[in-house]
Amino acid sequence: MSEQSSTEPEEAPSEKITVRNVSKAYESTQALYDISFSVSEGEFCCVVGPSGCGKTTLLRAIAGLDDPDSGSVLVGEEPVTAPGLDRGMVFQEYALFPWRTVRGNVRFGLDRPACECADCEARVRELVDLVGLEEFEDAYPKELSGGMKQRVGIARALAPDPEILLMDEPFGSVDARTRDRLHAELLDIWAQTEQTVVFVTHDIDEAVTLADRVVVMDADPGTVQSTISIDLERPRERTAHEFVDYVARIRDELGSPVDGRY
Amino acid sequence: MTTRTNTRSDTVFTGSFEGDLRRYLRGLGGLLAFLLVWWVGAVTTQPTYLVPGPLESAYAFVDLFATSTAIVVPILGSSLVLPTGLAHLAQTLFHYVPGLLLGALCGISLGLAMGWNGALEDWLRPLVRVLRPIPPLAWVVFAIVWFGIHHTGAAFIVFVGAFWINFYGAYGGVEGVSSDLTDAASTLGVERDFSMLKLVALPSAAPQVLTGFRTSIGRCWMIVVGAELFGAPGVGYEIINASNNLAMATSVAYMFVISLAFLCMDVGFRFVERRMLAWR
Repeated sequence: MSEQSSTEPEEAPSEKITVRNVSKAYESTQALYDISFSVSEGEFCCVVGPSGCGKTTLLRAIAGLDDPDSGSVLVGEEPVTAPGLDRGMVFQEYALFPWRTVRGNVRFGLDRPACECADCEARVRELVDLVGLEEFEDAYPKELSGGMKQRVGIARALAPDPEILLMDEPFGSVDARTRDRLHAELLDIWAQTEQTVVFVTHDIDEAVTLADRVVVMDADPGTVQSTISIDLERPRERTAHEFVDYVARIRDELGSPVDGRY
Repeated sequence: MTTRTNTRSDTVFTGSFEGDLRRYLRGLGGLLAFLLVWWVGAVTTQPTYLVPGPLESAYAFVDLFATSTAIVVPILGSSLVLPTGLAHLAQTLFHYVPGLLLGALCGISLGLAMGWNGALEDWLRPLVRVLRPIPPLAWVVFAIVWFGIHHTGAAFIVFVGAFWINFYGAYGGVEGVSSDLTDAASTLGVERDFSMLKLVALPSAAPQVLTGFRTSIGRCWMIVVGAELFGAPGVGYEIINASNNLAMATSVAYMFVISLAFLCMDVGFRFVERRMLAWR
């Protein structure tokens, strides 16, 4: 069915995720209003915006966890109707299964519906190593710090080898030093796996540190304010002039909370 | 900063060891004080059968295990000779255990189903509201007319008691499953409702389910004794039987048999529970 590209409107072939005129309202707020943007294959895209601008709603729409009221989300050329193993998700509050060990959590997605990898144990070990938790593979989530929990969250999302990694403020509740380390690790992993990443955050520094492109959102109604490409070599130095300039530019776009919108 | 935290946690550790010792001593003191009050009460009350003393009761207790009694094993129909105390305890267990297990199984199943399935919940909620407040012992009249007040009838009453406690444990547990966890599971490939129940809802509800079951162990002992006061064979029946003969010390001895049986089951189940919920 996806071969009938002649009848489809011509999209740039490298677009991995296309969000088309998506709107979603909750009781009193317009969380998303007519949002359109796209993410290229292998791109690291950050979405920033004030709280309540619908960043999480947008991510959940891409994940297939929430249906938009109108508009559509495409992954490749397939419209999203439900969650799928092609899109891994990392949650803000980790959402680890507390009754499973680190290994059991990482393993979860490999067994759905049935284990298909040649050697699942080896795959799990490889992922646990990748996030640096070798010594904790038999620990339960309650025994881990916030940063370690989120490493498990990342390894668990990576296990089914998704093409897309969706991250919802994943480092929001870890301390600043751990966050820096996790940023570096995440960029390493991304370089190895060449996944398409959509990373939601309200931290502008974090967005400029990580992203190829930053989508700036505005609140109520949730719209895309602008899209800024970050043209800097990695690893990025937060004190560098260009870095500071990007941060200032995005802050301008967001508008300061005091004098209202930009 | 770190050092200070360490020192503090060290103090708490030693404190808790001394605290443990103090707690045991206080507990022992409480028991001794109770024995004293009981003894004084027994000595000063006339006629003596109103309050059998601690020593007298202890003799009666030993007596339960020095004599033996033959009982009939239900279903098998064969007879079994055991020390009297154990024999009547076994009689109680013949209806207590099936009633408890079957009631727990049915209660947990319905609780899970109702907590998980919104339509079923809509259908059954009013019915549950109406049936729930009926005390299990009120069903004794139906136990008698349907099954006769023997093992089956008593098991039925225990079943009713176990059913509701386990039902609410499972129902509450499944309702409390966090949507974060079900979301995470669906992004990891859980598609069918039944898989979600098995892989996420059930393990997540396990603490409440197990607490419900542990509560029902105790509650069913109360119910089973109640059922036996109506004539089903077992320790409850022996309590009233002994008191009919004014052998009050024997009644007290059977009360201790119940207490010990419950304690063993409770301790055993707590152990299992701790093993199963090591992740908490």
